[in-house]
Amino acid sequence: MVRYQRGDREAFALLVKRYNKQVYNFVLRQLRTPALCEDVTQEVFMRLVQNAAEFKHEARFSTWLYAITRNLCIDQLRRLQHRRHPSLDQPVGDATDSRTLGDSIASQHYTASAERSAGASEVQASIVRAVEALPEDQREVFLLREIADLPFKDIAEITGVPENTVKSRMRYALDRLKQALCEFEEYARALR
Amino acid sequence: MDCEKFDRVVLDLLYGELDELTEAAAKRHIEHCSRCKGVSSGLRATREVGAMALVDPPEGLELGILEAERRLNAKLPLGKRLGRGVSILAVYAMRPQLAMAALLALMIGSSLFFLRARPGAQSSVLVTERGVPETETERVVIQPLPAPRDLAPLASAAPRPASAKPEAVAMRDRDLDKSSESAAAPTEAKEEAKGAAADGEPLGAAEPSADSMDAATAAFQSGRYVEAQRRFEEIAARGGSEAPVAALQAVEALRRQGGCPAAAPRYHDVHLRYRDTPSGSEAAWQAGDCYRALGELARARQNLEALLDVAEYRSRAQAALQELAAREEQVASAKKVKSAVGVATPPAAGSPPAAAPPAAEDKPAKPRSVDDGR
Repeated sequence: MVRYQRGDREAFALLVKRYNKQVYNFVLRQLRTPALCEDVTQEVFMRLVQNAAEFKHEARFSTWLYAITRNLCIDQLRRLQHRRHPSLDQPVGDATDSRTLGDSIASQHYTASAERSAGASEVQASIVRAVEALPEDQREVFLLREIADLPFKDIAEITGVPENTVKSRMRYALDRLKQALCEFEEYARALR
Repeated sequence: MDCEKFDRVVLDLLYGELDELTEAAAKRHIEHCSRCKGVSSGLRATREVGAMALVDPPEGLELGILEAERRLNAKLPLGKRLGRGVSILAVYAMRPQLAMAALLALMIGSSLFFLRARPGAQSSVLVTERGVPETETERVVIQPLPAPRDLAPLASAAPRPASAKPEAVAMRDRDLDKSSESAAAPTEAKEEAKGAAADGEPLGAAEPSADSMDAATAAFQSGRYVEAQRRFEEIAARGGSEAPVAALQAVEALRRQGGCPAAAPRYHDVHLRYRDTPSGSEAAWQAGDCYRALGELARARQNLEALLDVAEYRSRAQAALQELAAREEQVASAKKVKSAVGVATPPAAGSPPAAAPPAAEDKPAKPRSVDDGR
C-alpha cells in the first residue's frame, strides 16, 4: 500500500491479486447474491483507490480493506431489503424443486473447486448453508475471522463492538456450525 | 486456571491468539479437566472440518478492477490529483533520510552564511579619526596652525577666522575677481577656484595635480614650505592671473622657513611688482609688519604709507602708522636719556644701563616667524 501511495500502479495490481479472492468470498457469503458480488468487490477496490491518500497506516491494511468491504455489504443489504431481492432461503425453480437459492450457490461454486479437492460436497454444502443461516452479526464475525483471517481485536474495531462480544458471537457461530456437522462421519473422526 | 477462565480464553486458544504463559496454563487445565477438554476438542474439530473452501472469483474480475482503477485515475479531478501528488510528496518528505539530508543542508548553508560575514577575514583597512576608511572620498587634512601676527594690534585690526578658507584661496579669489572685471571671459582656473571656495572644502581634499595652485597650497598647508615656495614661485614665474597670489604665497612660505629677515625684502618686492592687486597690497602690509618687527621703522613706515591709497587697508594703515610714530618718539626720547646719562657718568663695566629700552624696541626682532610658522 505504501508503494501504491507513492504512485506505483503495479503495487495496486499486487494488492488486487492478493485480496480479491478473499474479498469476493466475504461479499458472497454476506450478500448471498452472486449477481452483486462482482460489482461490490470491484467497488471495494475503487473505494480503496479513491481513499488511498487518506490511509495513514495506523491500522493494518487488511483491517481497513475489510472495513470498506463490510460497509459496502451493509449498504447493499439495505438496498436488497428495499428491492426485495430473492433470498437464499427462497426456493429456486418451480414448486416441485425443493432446492433453495443457497443450495444452488453452494453447488455452483463447490462442485467446481472444493468438491473436487476434498470430495466432500455434502459437507461443504452443509457448511455453506449453516454459515448463511447464521444471524447477521454472527455471520459477519465468523466470516471476518475465517475468511479474512483477522484477529478478534481487529474484528472488534471493524464492527464497533467490544472484543468479548466478538468472541461471544464467534462462539455461538461455531456452536451452530457444530450442530450442522454432527451428522457427518468426517466430523466424528476429527472429534476423536 | 479454572473452567470459567478457560471458557473465556478458549477461542483465543483455538485461533492461537494467547500469550505463551496463558496458553500453557490452558493446556495444563485441559489435561486434568474432561469438560474443558471436550469443549476444546469440539471447537477444534468444527473449525477443521467446517473450514470454508474459498470460491474462485470470476475470470475477469481482477482485470476489471485494474481497468476500473485506470479509468478512475484518468477521471480524477485536478484537485484530487494535486492532493494525491502532495500526498506522494509528503510520503517522500516524511522519510527520515530526506529529513536528515535537509537538516544537514540547512546547517551547512547557515554555517557558510556566518563564515562569509566573519570579521577579520578582509584585509586591514586604514581609517581616519572619524572611523571612515581612508580610501574613501574623505581625507584627513592636517591644517597648519595659523601664524600669529608679530604685531598684535595690527593682527587684531584684521581678524581672520581660523575656519575660513585658506589665505591663498581667499587672496586668489580677490585677484581673480579683480582680473575678471578687466577680462571679460572667466578662465578655467577661476571657475575651479570659485567652485572650491563655494564648497568651502580644503584644497587638500583631493590629490592636487602637479604644477597647480592646489598642489602648492596643499604643500603649504601640510608644512612642506620648501616645496610650497618652489611651486608658488614657478606659478608666479609663469605669470597670468594667479601670479600675484602665487608670489605672495611664495614669500609666506619663505617666511615660515627663515622668518621676517628673509621675507621682509621679498614682501616689498612683491608689493612693488604687483602694486595694483590685492596681493600687492597684502604684501605691503606684511612687509610693514616684518620691518616693524625687525626694528627697521623707516622701511615699515614706507610700506604702510603705500597702503593709505588702498581703501581696504587705509584705516588699518593709519592706525599702524600712528602707533609707529609713537614708538619712534619713544625710541628717540630713550636715546636722548641714554646720551645724557652717558655724558654725566660713564657706566661701569658690566653694569646694565639704567633705563634700557625694551628689547623688542631696539633689538632686531627675534625670528618669531620661525617659531610660529614652523
